[in-house]
Amino acid sequence: MWVTNLKIVGVVLGTLALYTLIANEIPQVQSEVPQTLTLGTNVTPEQLVAAGEKVFNGIGGCTTCHGLGTRAPNLLTDETGTGPIGVRCGKREPGKSCKQYLFESLDNPTAYVVPGYQPIMPVMTKQLSPEQVWAVIAFLESQGGTVDVTASDIPSTTSTASSTGGGGGGGGGGLAGGSTDPKAIIQAAGCLACHKLEGQGQVIAPDLTHVGSRRTADSIRKKILDPTSSIAKGYEKLAGIMPKTFGAMMNAAQLEALVQYLAAHK
Amino acid sequence: MADGAVMLLQAAADSTRAYGEFPVIGARAFVWITAEVHLMFAAFVLGVPMFAVVTEAIGIFGGDERYDRLSKEFTRLLLVAYSATAIWGATLVFGLSTLYPRFWAYLTAIFAPSMWVYAGLFFVESFTLYLYYYGWDRWKKGRAKLGHWTLGILLNVWGTVVMFIANSWLTYMMSPPRDITPTTDPTTIKLWHAIANATWMPINVHRVVANVVFGGAIVGAYASYRFLAARTDEERAHYDWMGYVGNFIAMSALIVLPFAGYWLGREIYQYDQSMGITMMGGFMSWLWVIQAFLIAVLFLTGNYYLWIGMGRIPGAERFRPYTKWLLIILVLGAIVWGTPHTMIADSKELAAMGGSHHPLLGALGVMSAKNTAVNLMILTTFLSFLLYRRANTRPVVPWAGTGTMIQGAMFAIAAGIVLFYGIRGYFVEAIVRIGFSVYQVLAVLACIVCVTVIDILMARGAQSLGAIRWGKMPARSQYALFILAVTFTWLMGLMGFARSGIRQYWHVWQVMQDTSKYAATPALGYASKMISLCVLIFLCLVAFVFWLGGLAEKSTFVAPGAGDEGGGRGDRHVGH
Repeated sequence: MWVTNLKIVGVVLGTLALYTLIANEIPQVQSEVPQTLTLGTNVTPEQLVAAGEKVFNGIGGCTTCHGLGTRAPNLLTDETGTGPIGVRCGKREPGKSCKQYLFESLDNPTAYVVPGYQPIMPVMTKQLSPEQVWAVIAFLESQGGTVDVTASDIPSTTSTASSTGGGGGGGGGGLAGGSTDPKAIIQAAGCLACHKLEGQGQVIAPDLTHVGSRRTADSIRKKILDPTSSIAKGYEKLAGIMPKTFGAMMNAAQLEALVQYLAAHK
Repeated sequence: MADGAVMLLQAAADSTRAYGEFPVIGARAFVWITAEVHLMFAAFVLGVPMFAVVTEAIGIFGGDERYDRLSKEFTRLLLVAYSATAIWGATLVFGLSTLYPRFWAYLTAIFAPSMWVYAGLFFVESFTLYLYYYGWDRWKKGRAKLGHWTLGILLNVWGTVVMFIANSWLTYMMSPPRDITPTTDPTTIKLWHAIANATWMPINVHRVVANVVFGGAIVGAYASYRFLAARTDEERAHYDWMGYVGNFIAMSALIVLPFAGYWLGREIYQYDQSMGITMMGGFMSWLWVIQAFLIAVLFLTGNYYLWIGMGRIPGAERFRPYTKWLLIILVLGAIVWGTPHTMIADSKELAAMGGSHHPLLGALGVMSAKNTAVNLMILTTFLSFLLYRRANTRPVVPWAGTGTMIQGAMFAIAAGIVLFYGIRGYFVEAIVRIGFSVYQVLAVLACIVCVTVIDILMARGAQSLGAIRWGKMPARSQYALFILAVTFTWLMGLMGFARSGIRQYWHVWQVMQDTSKYAATPALGYASKMISLCVLIFLCLVAFVFWLGGLAEKSTFVAPGAGDEGGGRGDRHVGH
């Protein structure tokens, strides 16, 4: 009987070990609590780069298009033999330093559209806090170049402000300081960088002026949270461009306010 | 409430100690272990009475006393298991009140009345159990027996209500009503408003079904142990039969479980899509690959047990050639179901894949493919049961040939509908695609119900090809039952982690934030170690409970032959 008992123990422990092993072999992703990102006057380049990498890979949604060289220029490895972005950013516009060029690219993306690509990038300075923007610039500079972003580049009015540093999701703070004013949310999220609404904004993505007549509130909500869930006719080529991070950037009340506001645009 | 009062309330709350600490393993691990083991015992003491009352009913209305004795044997185990459930529950409450005092105060401020009802019902449930068990031999015949069976039903009713109450607390943490905000004074929240939250009823239904599965699996494991330890052929035959019954109940309920899970998932999406996306496409996306692997193990092992079992059934040889095809469908289905789709990937991984989804496997990772796979796996498993059920009989009704053809056509139509909507799902919008899964589910359920009804009618007066040779099972079949029990238990722990983990750093979703040092939700690797530890603790304690049950009273097996002749009623047990 002892042999049978040992076999049973072996089967039980073996099964548990197998499941535990498999679960440890897959990619390990921990859901972090959104960290307060306070970049004080003593912030080091290394700290900026580390924070920027998190934003780039996380809440910034940059990897949706960049890094692959298909939808937008490859920033991390090489772009048509010119090297990573840190190498080429200083040579892109005569008279502009790498830092200036990168900031303007984030603040006014349509100003320097690389030939062969479409002007689809949203205004990142409306989506991210100044600290996050400058952290991303530092990260991009570090890709083959020299990091010269310092605390003095970050506007002093926001030097003590806090912002989420990527990861997590489902955050409770939300855009625009948590305001439930739909116009403030639209402004902060940078929706008009691609969409047109009430005569304002770009026409890269579908016009939202009468979105309520085309989509139900549920459909709008789903589209915001999962932009690839449905693609408007005629915009198939731009599938996947809209960042998937809005669900994590807005709190529930903001999302509902925005959805109802858009649904009312019949 | 006036703003000033809210601020005072918040200030008072802030001044109280929010978190305690537990030595060595930490507060979160302590609460995790106590909650999980308590839940496993709770599932055991809810699942086994369901099993007991059904088998008692079969014994009463079918006239087979073995079922009655089987039912009693398991009710005996419940006595000790109830104590274990209560001990772990009390430990959990102490853990919550000392390690998470502010959160616990918040919950009690809303749910205190329901907690008293919970405690009261637990008393009622316990005394009903005592009456049920100790009255077994006294109320054995006629109307008294029916009264006794009613006690069993009441035991299930009390247990289910107790579970529903506890479910309301944890589902409130997941999906508090939308009008409740961080500034809402908890004492102003209406109790029923908090109880009847968005995920309460889906969780209730899901857990009721899952408890049946769990109860059946544990019964199967118990029987397999007794089978392996049996000293006589008669004893072995009895526990072989018991293991079959346990497995039958577990697998039958498992077939329904994905539908209940789908409803729960849909409610989560409808309540908060960002929570749904976190669950399915965010940091938890790999969890579903693990889940798919576990369910594949369940389907394959359950079918394997049935296929081996056909070796002890005269006449089953004619169905054996089909098993390899069933195996192929199950394996292909498992591969598709386990295909990941949306995962968090860094830029290097994205570049390696050439896009956000793998070009080849991305097509198989979408819900259209997965729903199709799981529905075909369910149909396949049902077909295995059907073959097993018909193995030692030959229908004699004049319409047997037509009936079999109709059954075959029903399988073909159901599979066709599942495939049609699975393929069509690729060409429509997501919102339309989601609706297709309902048609797929309905086609499978309709097939199962109609084919079963036809089969029951066809089996009337069927010619027997020989008695089932109970006990003539190789030992590996019994180890399969152990794997099933361990896998069900582990899966329960994994799904508990998923349900709780999607709240991320919130005690109460977007109402009360977890500000402790354990606020981050751990990765699957750490979670798997915790789950394995909890499963091990539970199984050790259950083994102890079984051992105690054996000390208290000898086994109640009856030798075949006592009212069971070959080919007669006795070998046509549940599902056979």
